[in-house]
Amino acid sequence: MFDAAALISAFGLLADPLTMLLLVVGILLGLVIGILPGLGPPIAIALALPFTFHLDTVASMVLLLGIYSAAIYGGSISAIAVGIPGTGAAIATVLDGHNMFKSGRGGEALGFSLTGSIIGGLFSAACLALIAPLLADLAVKFGPREYLAISVFGLIVVVRVAGQSLPKGLLIGALGIFLTTWGLDELNGTERYTFGSYNLYEGLPLVPFLVGLFAMSEVLIGAERVARRIEFSTDSLVVKLPGLKTLAGMKDLILRSSVIGTVIGIIPGEGAAVGAFFAYSEAKRRSKTPEAYGTGIPEGIVAPETANNATVGGALVPTLTLGVPGSPAAAVLLGALLIQGLTPGPKLFSEEPDLMYAIFTGLFLINILMMVIGLVAIRFAAQLIRVPTAVIVPTVMLLSFVGIYSVSNSFFNVGVLLGAGILGYVTRKLGYSIAPLSIGFVLGPILENSLRQSLTIADGSVTEFFDTPIGLTIYAALLLTIFWGPVTSRIKRRMGK
Amino acid sequence: MLSQRTANLIFIVIILAACAYFAWEAEGFSTSGLLASSGLPSKFFPQLLLGIMAVCAAFIGYLYLVRGAAGGDAGGTVFENKTEARQGILMLPVAAACYVIWRSFGFLPMAIVMGPLSLLAMGVRAPWFYVIVLAMTALVALTFTYGLGIQLI
Repeated sequence: MFDAAALISAFGLLADPLTMLLLVVGILLGLVIGILPGLGPPIAIALALPFTFHLDTVASMVLLLGIYSAAIYGGSISAIAVGIPGTGAAIATVLDGHNMFKSGRGGEALGFSLTGSIIGGLFSAACLALIAPLLADLAVKFGPREYLAISVFGLIVVVRVAGQSLPKGLLIGALGIFLTTWGLDELNGTERYTFGSYNLYEGLPLVPFLVGLFAMSEVLIGAERVARRIEFSTDSLVVKLPGLKTLAGMKDLILRSSVIGTVIGIIPGEGAAVGAFFAYSEAKRRSKTPEAYGTGIPEGIVAPETANNATVGGALVPTLTLGVPGSPAAAVLLGALLIQGLTPGPKLFSEEPDLMYAIFTGLFLINILMMVIGLVAIRFAAQLIRVPTAVIVPTVMLLSFVGIYSVSNSFFNVGVLLGAGILGYVTRKLGYSIAPLSIGFVLGPILENSLRQSLTIADGSVTEFFDTPIGLTIYAALLLTIFWGPVTSRIKRRMGK
Repeated sequence: MLSQRTANLIFIVIILAACAYFAWEAEGFSTSGLLASSGLPSKFFPQLLLGIMAVCAAFIGYLYLVRGAAGGDAGGTVFENKTEARQGILMLPVAAACYVIWRSFGFLPMAIVMGPLSLLAMGVRAPWFYVIVLAMTALVALTFTYGLGIQLI
């Protein structure tokens, strides 16, 4: 529970000049990468991961959280200015944001997007600080069956929401888990798919795999679109913040979107894009003038932008307390903790309370500073949208190569990066989402160990799997998630008839 | 252009063949000593996943064969046009070649050729792009070598 000494210590850690500098650098980098179309938060964090190897834990987490939050917000700038979302999370913002920009209200649109993002980010940071310690207390009691239930829940949810085809999601998710079975069996030391290489004894390394999957595959896809030029006017790119009266008129919308974003962030596997779309459709559904959505109204920007930044704090709840990532970006963040020699999970709260409080406080600081930096830097940062893809592609490729090599001086890891990049590229081209692949790769070891331990405990009986109240609740929530939509729509159809 | 249907069917065949190979490979996993009798065998989980993958792949293959689509990509193509296809596909050997050059000849030759080779693969001819990319390469190399102290060269 609340630990005042740890909080004071966290303030001390954050007050370190290098940490503060990295916090600002993180926000700037996140903004830049978020603005560049195609390069979203997971890529931004993945590219910065190798640098964290040389930093202490608090400094590296602050840098990555700054990048994470700012990259989600940065995506809205290109969505508003040129109608091309910088990140998937900003797709819902395009409709109203770009229409406002075209009608000469770009500054207002940017103001609404910035304000919504900050409020959503602060709300979810508060939720993280309140919920995470409680969940960690509960998670200490978790055994293999509970972890199995959570892993299954996370995986099924991400498979359902990622892409239009359920079998494709399942196939790619299973592939992600399968790849984690390579290496020595953790329970009995059996060699599995090592192909005589000692490099594979510890399995495929997480960080090179994730960087390859996100950054390298994006490089390869980016190479196809090199000829596209982006031109836009910067005349209306001076941010105009909405007044308190305007915000007060939107308080219900903001609160609802913040809650939606946070809750969707907490659900393992869901990401900022899902949160933004859900908040947008809810805002439209509840509006008295739903037909106005998409024509260029502030509510159409505030709802998705508040929700997508609210997913940041939400996604950190399962990541930090259970070691189960709340989003693909959180999966890469999990890699950062592993680089620092930390194992995300409930014990992190008792073993590293200073770090936990530094993360909570750091998130608040990031959101406050993002407001200041956003106000000053948007006009200049928006110019980056014009950076040609021909320059971005080789630079990101070199950064990925060198960054991964620098973590362990291993060519094998660079090979994994390349292999994962090609796998990500091929699967994306064939209409598969890489989100289940990445989440599957992170959850694989938890899933296998908990399944095998559960089976051992249950002495082979499957019914014993459900003989746990927490596990049963999670499975019930999973069934509700799967069947709620189809059942309610069927009932509505019948009532309509 | 290569249709999503054809490409996905080829991918499915590769996945099914890979599943069969890895499942057969898993049969050879051997655990020695007392650990051999403890809990589930090591092959159980990989083979379970390979089974799930094979079932999904077969179902996706069926969807493409019978309905021509899986998840709203009916009539779609893998690449928008020939230029995109050439640029995307050419980047794959460029990335692989850079890796081989780094392993065989060191970082410097790789860093020097990576930018220009990428630009060539992307069909970029304007000289100033080559200058900018080489400058960015130098910046990245210097940052890692002198900023982070990584032994690259």
